[in-house]
Amino acid sequence: MDIQEYFSLVFSDYTLRTITLGTAILGAVTGMLGSFAVLRKQSLLGDAISHAALPGIAISFLITGAKDSNTLLLGALVSGLIGTFWIRGIITKTHLKSDTALGLILSLFFGFGMLLLTFIQKQPNANQAGLDKYLFGQAATLVESDVWMMAIVTGICLFVLLLFWKEFKILLFDKDYAKTLGFNTKTIDILITSFIVLAIVLGLQTVGVVLMSAMLLAPAAAARQWTNSLATMVFLAALFGAFSGVFGTAISASQNNLSTGPVIVLVAAVFVFISFIFSPSRGLLFKQIRFIKNRRDLQLHKTLAFMYNIAETHDDISHPHEIKILNNFQGFTKGTLKKLVEKNYVTLQGSTWSLTNEGFKSASNLYNQLTKNDE
Amino acid sequence: MSNAQIEIQLIASLVAIACAIPGTFLVLRKMAMISDAISHSILPGIVVGFFITHDLGSPILILLATLAGVVTVVLVEYIQKTGLVKEDTAIGLVFPALFSIGVILIKKNADDIHLDVDAVLLGELAYAPFDRLLVSGVDLGPKSLWIVGAILMITIILLFAFFKELKLSTFDKGLAASLGFSPVIIHYGLMTVSSITTVGAFDAVGAILVVALMIAPAATAYLLTTDLKKMLFLSIVFGVFSAISGYWFAHWLDASIAGSITTMLGVLFLLVYLFAPNKGVIAVLYREKQQRTEVSLLTFLLHLKNHDEERERHVNHLNEHINWQKVRSKTVLELALKNNMIIIDNNIVSLTSKGDEFTTQAIDYIITNEDAQIEDMKDDFFLFRG
Repeated sequence: MDIQEYFSLVFSDYTLRTITLGTAILGAVTGMLGSFAVLRKQSLLGDAISHAALPGIAISFLITGAKDSNTLLLGALVSGLIGTFWIRGIITKTHLKSDTALGLILSLFFGFGMLLLTFIQKQPNANQAGLDKYLFGQAATLVESDVWMMAIVTGICLFVLLLFWKEFKILLFDKDYAKTLGFNTKTIDILITSFIVLAIVLGLQTVGVVLMSAMLLAPAAAARQWTNSLATMVFLAALFGAFSGVFGTAISASQNNLSTGPVIVLVAAVFVFISFIFSPSRGLLFKQIRFIKNRRDLQLHKTLAFMYNIAETHDDISHPHEIKILNNFQGFTKGTLKKLVEKNYVTLQGSTWSLTNEGFKSASNLYNQLTKNDE
Repeated sequence: MSNAQIEIQLIASLVAIACAIPGTFLVLRKMAMISDAISHSILPGIVVGFFITHDLGSPILILLATLAGVVTVVLVEYIQKTGLVKEDTAIGLVFPALFSIGVILIKKNADDIHLDVDAVLLGELAYAPFDRLLVSGVDLGPKSLWIVGAILMITIILLFAFFKELKLSTFDKGLAASLGFSPVIIHYGLMTVSSITTVGAFDAVGAILVVALMIAPAATAYLLTTDLKKMLFLSIVFGVFSAISGYWFAHWLDASIAGSITTMLGVLFLLVYLFAPNKGVIAVLYREKQQRTEVSLLTFLLHLKNHDEERERHVNHLNEHINWQKVRSKTVLELALKNNMIIIDNNIVSLTSKGDEFTTQAIDYIITNEDAQIEDMKDDFFLFRG
């Protein structure tokens, strides 16, 4: 199946439609909440939470013996929350730093989860197969009820986000100010962290424990490059996330043997890559162009200033000088000279140059910041 | 104990030691998450290496995977340097992308590569003794034992050779640089050693356990001591203890050894986290409570010194005026009494000479902005703490 076929089938085929819709919604909600995680400098929290969710899945299977995805995800939610608050406890109560706390909880919970999973596999219960899909995710196992679940959670997230928009925003950028205004920062903090955990848990079935953090980060990191406004960033991140979901699903459906999770992550990574390079204000490409332009301006100014210093010593400012004397001067090139002529600052006559009145004036004002349009 | 069992425990212990040494420095340098990133992103290196050699233990594979680990570090640092995103975001972006490439490579070539992503992440220590190193027909023991042993030897040699440099650059980067030790070289050296350890150990114990073995023992030790040598020693002890007890726990449960070792590490950390003498949560909470009472006591004594009127010094006044709960005022009063700071006569509280002296000194410290000195002063005056 090629990609064109996929897009013609996506509206008619039940499985494809479900998966595409599921990954799109997932991308949107993780992008949305991921913006907050990225801006709060909690990018790796997502990684820790998704790993910490694993024992929850195993324990809720051990207790209920059922593979209903909602109960398993409930377990994941609980253990993800425990992990999150333990991380917070380690950071606030001991002198261990956040990176240690994250890595610790991540690996310990994941290892414990693996212990439980291997323990379950040895149990004489035929039902246990398929739990390991939560490791790397299997979008193909999504059914309509899962998508409904995602849609509902996304709706709630959106509602709460809009309701507490002001509070979230102020907490994000100036926590102390929020506190002095009388907002209960602790509650808002817990609320937003819980939603991040919820979004991660939702994605476990599709993308898996290991790659879930990228779903949270990548769209937000990409969106950050295009705007400085929080609302725009959240919107863009949701958009990028949704598109990564759809494109990822499309690409993996059009090839054999391609698991959806990794492809979605790679598509999101491509979004990040493009944003890093081509974003107009922060992108590396335009930054480099600006850098080169600035350097050229500087060289032009330096040449002009040098000429000015020479011309100053003569009564007649337009007294012609040999071009040769400029040669030793760093920053002088034929290009800068040509540009100066174009601007009518300098006139050339054979192998000599002379400063024009205009050039003399702008050169004398060069460091007075009066020549802003000077280029 | 059978031969295989001893060998498994030996491998696990060696891995634990090999991980604890770089892990200690990673934790101290606040780079613990880098080890998580490395452990994931070596996957494409392993896959490509496996393509070429078809042998998980070959040096080329280890070299390629180590390279992938170092590339991760370089990429993360490059992205950080652009200033487009924060450091942690850079880590979170790089390793899932590399890991995804690895997973896709494996899936696309599933027919050629008998390599399981699960196996890379989780390893299977139980099979390690079956892959033996044969030199001209002589059995020299399990292959992974040799690999891990070699890596451990390199790590230990490097540790002894560069201990001073490592220590200095970990605790005072500026001083190290000004003394002529290049922080960059030490940084990348440490990163390379971490990568090699991760790669060498993943075959035996899996990438996730490597992360756990690097961070958990060091973090646990860090809660108990602030001396670098003691911390190194303790993390090695914790690592080896978890490795051996974890093995027997897995044996009893018939489950993954890697998972069980991690669980033991977790239990160990939880215990220390709760009960560590100075930095454990219980000790911290107790100290916080103690300090709260002592601050109240100080406020109360200052109040007494300021007021000679009997009305202000009446016991009931505490509840009515200073707005303290009954229990709180009772604790404060009792503490003051026990320390001979006050005498209560007919429900009227007055300072003793000792209390007066204490308060005068405390005021001195407070108006000269040297509040920290009050902590030391408490040692001189208090027979009983809050």
